[in-house]
Amino acid sequence: MSLNSGVSINDECVTSYKEFSLSRGKTKYMIFKLSDDKSEIVIDESGGEKDYEVFRNKLCDAKDSKGRPAPRYAVYDVEYELGGGEGKRNKIIFISWVPEESDRMLRMIYASTREGLKTALGPAASIHADEKGDIEWNTVLYEASGGKAGK
Amino acid sequence: MNPSIPPSTAEYGGDEVSAIVLDPGFSTVRAGFAGEDTPKSLIPSYYGKYTYEGEEKIIFGDDIYVTPRPGLSIHNPMGRDGIVEDWDMAEKVWEYSFTSRLTGSKPGNPLQNGLNDALPDGELPTEMEGIEAEEKPLADSPLLMTESGWNPSKAREKTIEIAMENWGSPAFYLGRNGVLAAFASGKASALVIDVGASNISVTPVHDGMILKRGVQHSPLGGDYISSQIRALFKANSPQPITITPHYLISSKTSVDAGQPPQAVYKTFAPEKAPHESYRALLEERTLSEFKECVVQVWPGPNRLTATGPNGIPNEEIARSSPGRPFEFPDGYNQVFGVERYRVVESLFDAKAHIPDSESPFPAPTPAQTLPELIKSALNGVDVDIRPHLLANVVVTGASSLLYGFTDRLNQELLQNFPSPRVRISAPGNTTERRFGSWVGASILASLGSFHQMWISKKEYEEHGPSIVDKRCK
Ligand SMILES: Nc1ncnc2c1ncn2[C@@H]1O[C@H](COP(=O)(O)OP(=O)(O)O)[C@@H](O)[C@H]1O
Ligand SMILES: [Mg+2]
Repeated sequence: MSLNSGVSINDECVTSYKEFSLSRGKTKYMIFKLSDDKSEIVIDESGGEKDYEVFRNKLCDAKDSKGRPAPRYAVYDVEYELGGGEGKRNKIIFISWVPEESDRMLRMIYASTREGLKTALGPAASIHADEKGDIEWNTVLYEASGGKAGK
Repeated sequence: MNPSIPPSTAEYGGDEVSAIVLDPGFSTVRAGFAGEDTPKSLIPSYYGKYTYEGEEKIIFGDDIYVTPRPGLSIHNPMGRDGIVEDWDMAEKVWEYSFTSRLTGSKPGNPLQNGLNDALPDGELPTEMEGIEAEEKPLADSPLLMTESGWNPSKAREKTIEIAMENWGSPAFYLGRNGVLAAFASGKASALVIDVGASNISVTPVHDGMILKRGVQHSPLGGDYISSQIRALFKANSPQPITITPHYLISSKTSVDAGQPPQAVYKTFAPEKAPHESYRALLEERTLSEFKECVVQVWPGPNRLTATGPNGIPNEEIARSSPGRPFEFPDGYNQVFGVERYRVVESLFDAKAHIPDSESPFPAPTPAQTLPELIKSALNGVDVDIRPHLLANVVVTGASSLLYGFTDRLNQELLQNFPSPRVRISAPGNTTERRFGSWVGASILASLGSFHQMWISKKEYEEHGPSIVDKRCK
């Protein structure tokens, strides 16, 4: 095992993620956070809004207990056109959101727990963001589709 | 302290005890309690050796600077490549870093510590057998240590052996500097550029693991820059500059810029003089100050020797910016102009090296410069992850605090890797830049959840030192 925080992944993250991945777009996203006692990753919220911007704003507006910008993880169900009449595809992208202004202890914990959560969930693609501009819809589309759409 | 109040558990072991974080570099050793913001103990990695009344004496910590003892010589247990050469002395220097400021020295064997001197002659204390030999210095403290990305297995095994057997640590972990610095910037994937004292290194980290095939390092660190400054001083006009450390000066009067120093010097008879390595150590302090106050990296775009798009040579532009003054310990002072850029240019452009036949540093090869190290590092990793690394360049190490360093790095990256997103994250906070991996390690080791990462004494006893390679990937 490589160096990591040892923070555990609450079972509910994994079971809800499974349901999410089978929900065929009913749930569009899930957001995860570090529990207040810093011992595990838990579900923060999930939603079905179709508008990506609603999700992006929610993610980027996360705050810590002192009201400062706070890191989060998220998964988003990206739908894209394959083109050439081949129809639509869905891919789940994992996002780590660690804004530079966030508390340094939280930055450290989120960075060193990322791999553990990503492995537990097993999404198709992943992306890291420390500025809101890093997860423009086109970028996320491009990463999720493996370069077949977006950008 | 009130003797009627029982000592807190923190002092006597038990769950409350903090882990110790130890980050040994080539120039300094950083040690402190996990959970603290900065390392409480910062000591030189160097130690001093001299003979007194026929007996060899060794000194550690800041004491090495203080007294120019006859024959005092200065040594470093670490090799220039960042790997330990002298294990016995490395152990002693590191041990000093925590016993001097953190753990204190443990009570020794009462037969030797003088506590039993009052016993009448010939009468030995009755229960000698029951008395433990000297308690080990880390008997109560888990220890998280850091290492370079190219530390070989043998060295890693030796390290855990010292921690477990000689220091008696109940738990141990060894973390790579690059990974810790990436994590401390909030990133699990990053290209970590560490500009230290004896090395510059480029470490690709992906999903929290170093990508060994991409790790690159070269000797163009802070000490090399010091050697370039020395070369500059020798060729200086109106006159060559000699660095005379304070211990060789009894008095000085102030002089105008560029005028010869007016100082009264101390001399030592040959048998009273410290070794030349002592002088070199003290000169290095002045050089370090010079780096902080005067030296500047040409910010780019393009090399210092290049000519800008408008036909004006970059050197010309550099010359027109106001110079920076510096005063030496003997009172000599001067304003440094364009030459303050030249002493670091060879980190980016091997041809800019200032030759000096007496320097222990050979002229760098192009492959050793930072832009080339970065290219090699990226060539050593999968094409798919290169853009992610370039978007997450993390800068750490005290020499990266050189004025203008990150601006130039940014220009070099943009020129060499025209990618839609190149981004450098360099903490503006100098503590985090100087102690990046210590700070990261301090947070990790303070987490309750980290307990499952530790290699316990029991596991060590079962599997031996090779467990470090299995557990600390
Ligand atoms: N503000 C500064 N500007 C430039 N160089 C500096 C500064 N502060 C320290 N240095 C240089 O940085 C080097 C020490 O870097 P560090 O990262 O602590 O190295 P190491 O980990 O190898 O001990 C020394 O050569 C020192 O002169
Ligand atoms: Mg270092």
